[in-house]
Amino acid sequence: MDNVLAARALMGLSLGFHIIYATIGIGLPLMLMIAEGIALRTGNELYRQMARRWIRPAGLLFAIGAVSGTVLSFELGLLWPRFMEFSGPMIGMPFWMEGYAFFTEAIFLALYIYGEQRLSRRALFLCTIPLTLSAALSAVFVISANSWMNTPAGFTLEGGILTGVSPLAAMLNPAFAHQAVHGTLAAYAATAFGMAGIYALAMLRRGATPYLKRALVLAMAVGTCSLPLMLVSGDWAAAFLARNQPAKLAAAEAHFETMAGAPLIVGGWPDPETGEVNFGFKVPKLLSLLAFKDPDGVVKGLNDYPPDERPDPRLVHPFFDLMVGSFFLMALAAAWFWWRTWRRKDVAANRRLLWFLVLASPFGLIALECGWLVTEFGRQPWIIQGVMKVGAGATPNESIGLVFAVFLVVYILLTGGLMKMLLQAEPPAVDSPAGREGRHG
Amino acid sequence: MVSLTDLAAGALLLGLIMYATFGGADFGGGIWTTLASGPRKQEQRESLFHAIGPVWETNHVWLIYVVVVLFMVFPKAFAALFTALLTPLVIALVGINFRGAAFAFRHFGRQTGRDVPLIARSFEISSMLTPLALGMAVTAIAGGEIRLAAGRVLAGPWDWISPFTIVGGMIGLAICAYLAPIYMTVRTRGELREDFRRRGMVAALVLGVLTTLEIPVALLDAPEFAARLGLPRTLICIALAVSGGTVTEVLLWRRRFLAAQIGAGATVAFTLAGFAAALYPDLLLGQLSIVAAAAPRPTLVAFFTVLPFGVIILAPSLFYLYWTFRGSPDPEAPPEDFRV
Repeated sequence: MDNVLAARALMGLSLGFHIIYATIGIGLPLMLMIAEGIALRTGNELYRQMARRWIRPAGLLFAIGAVSGTVLSFELGLLWPRFMEFSGPMIGMPFWMEGYAFFTEAIFLALYIYGEQRLSRRALFLCTIPLTLSAALSAVFVISANSWMNTPAGFTLEGGILTGVSPLAAMLNPAFAHQAVHGTLAAYAATAFGMAGIYALAMLRRGATPYLKRALVLAMAVGTCSLPLMLVSGDWAAAFLARNQPAKLAAAEAHFETMAGAPLIVGGWPDPETGEVNFGFKVPKLLSLLAFKDPDGVVKGLNDYPPDERPDPRLVHPFFDLMVGSFFLMALAAAWFWWRTWRRKDVAANRRLLWFLVLASPFGLIALECGWLVTEFGRQPWIIQGVMKVGAGATPNESIGLVFAVFLVVYILLTGGLMKMLLQAEPPAVDSPAGREGRHG
Repeated sequence: MVSLTDLAAGALLLGLIMYATFGGADFGGGIWTTLASGPRKQEQRESLFHAIGPVWETNHVWLIYVVVVLFMVFPKAFAALFTALLTPLVIALVGINFRGAAFAFRHFGRQTGRDVPLIARSFEISSMLTPLALGMAVTAIAGGEIRLAAGRVLAGPWDWISPFTIVGGMIGLAICAYLAPIYMTVRTRGELREDFRRRGMVAALVLGVLTTLEIPVALLDAPEFAARLGLPRTLICIALAVSGGTVTEVLLWRRRFLAAQIGAGATVAFTLAGFAAALYPDLLLGQLSIVAAAAPRPTLVAFFTVLPFGVIILAPSLFYLYWTFRGSPDPEAPPEDFRV
């Protein structure tokens, strides 16, 4: 395997793996905070059970998130030393702040998970507040480093020499705001829909208990609240790309020729050789409308870029469509759920709806992973847009293919172990008297 | 006048010391799980396992702290070190992964009434693999094998292995094995405490022997480093480390456990400070100085602007964490007040 390709594959594998656990690590604290808060305010024990039952799987998932995050911090240097040598002074600051946020998160998570016998209920609830905040801030800071790669700022290059470094300007780079909002909210949507699916599945298997009903409503409420915000921030992102990273937008939309009144292409397989999209469905003028709020706006196409500076639309367009499609699937699930709740107040009796919630449950995470792939593949061949190409940032070390193989095995073993532990264990959604939870070991 | 870059190097050393004294004890827990012996073998394992529980994740954030400081403040050193030390760092990473996962799996398995021997084994093996590899990587920066030309690394994939770094890796292991039992003496009582006390005293001797051995090894294998051991600042650190270790041993002998715990941490801190004092003013011995590796000044200023905010948030939070889980290692049990 070519070294740069191996480095990209390993970084992609590690990030794709970490994103799953990081997402749960951002979303779950919010759910815990809400459930503990309601329990404390209303004295309703069901909400407390809901939160406490997540503790064991949360401990597992957070642990995997922490170690896979450590791997990433190392891989920045092991795989991309030349990129980091250049970028460290600019993107170091968000990582530095993320370090603190993650530290805070780890502290309060440990207090929350292990502290049941040593802290009051109020103190346990209070622990979930810094936990939720620091988890969200971790995401925001890490996304800042990524958005800097899309819209590098806070420095000037004079004949290859770095001058005028401003870490603050680098952190608040143009793409930061929309990426941070879109990315963090996505974690809430993904976690909430994932949890809703687990509760729906438990209802299908064991019938609806008051506990499951409340848990499902809570999960759907959080998920549904984040959906419109996802739509708005997604639209903001598209409009931003049209102006600042038109190549990425063009790749996402499989848009080859620069034109006014550009159509939106849904689905289809773009062919970079011919510049055609096979089997796609075209909606006239919609792309221009979405990008510039003007049906006759001029949208730049991929063909405007030299061939070696074009992202491959085959790697971007399908993931983009899958992301948008996932959104509509979740929106449909939410609409059906609330419509039924509002009309007859008995969601549990409709097995089709429950199955649909189960079906929709992984799509939050799928959309999140796809969004990440769109932003990464859409930036190619650049590692820092317009400044440094991916190959120039990579390690001169050979044998990265071997390192890739090693980590592939590590991740397969970790995932296998995790699945085995979680699936064999009592699922957290099962109703059981509190006593059975036991305090052994 | 201390320069900003020196201060930043100090912050890096502080991170390394924190990782060694907290994360190290954590690895040591894994080492002594493997080496558990005698009639209270099972109790030893249980108490170590419980003690690690609430704090392992926080203990390991210090490693991320070190990595982030390195790439933000000393990006050139980060690039050079992570290129030259690819192999030991990958080994350490694999160990960190398996260890973290094995611990979490085991904890989860216990709660659900399962104990998986394979998972326990991988926890133990990776608890030794990681400090060994990290110890070798850290000593390799002073071993003189890694050379730079025009900012690019000239080092073969196996240059990090030398007698000097092998002893360094063993010192890494010994530091971990030294801290864990001594920290455990304040959290256990009776015969179990005596077990940990004896283990701590033996590990102290091993650590003492290995660090002493490193001096003649350095004279033969890393002469540049050895030459700097005679500098006054290095000698002061060595003297402090030696007296710290001796006092700790006496405190353990006299069963002054709380003071011994602090003494053990200080001994490790002075040992690392001695290493850093010999390395100074370089980050990669004879090849890359702290000043040459440093980021532009605005980045350093940003680093020190954020630092106090982090301390304000973290210091009380960490205190609250360690205070909550003081006393009996079992987090499910209420903290008992140990009179020591």
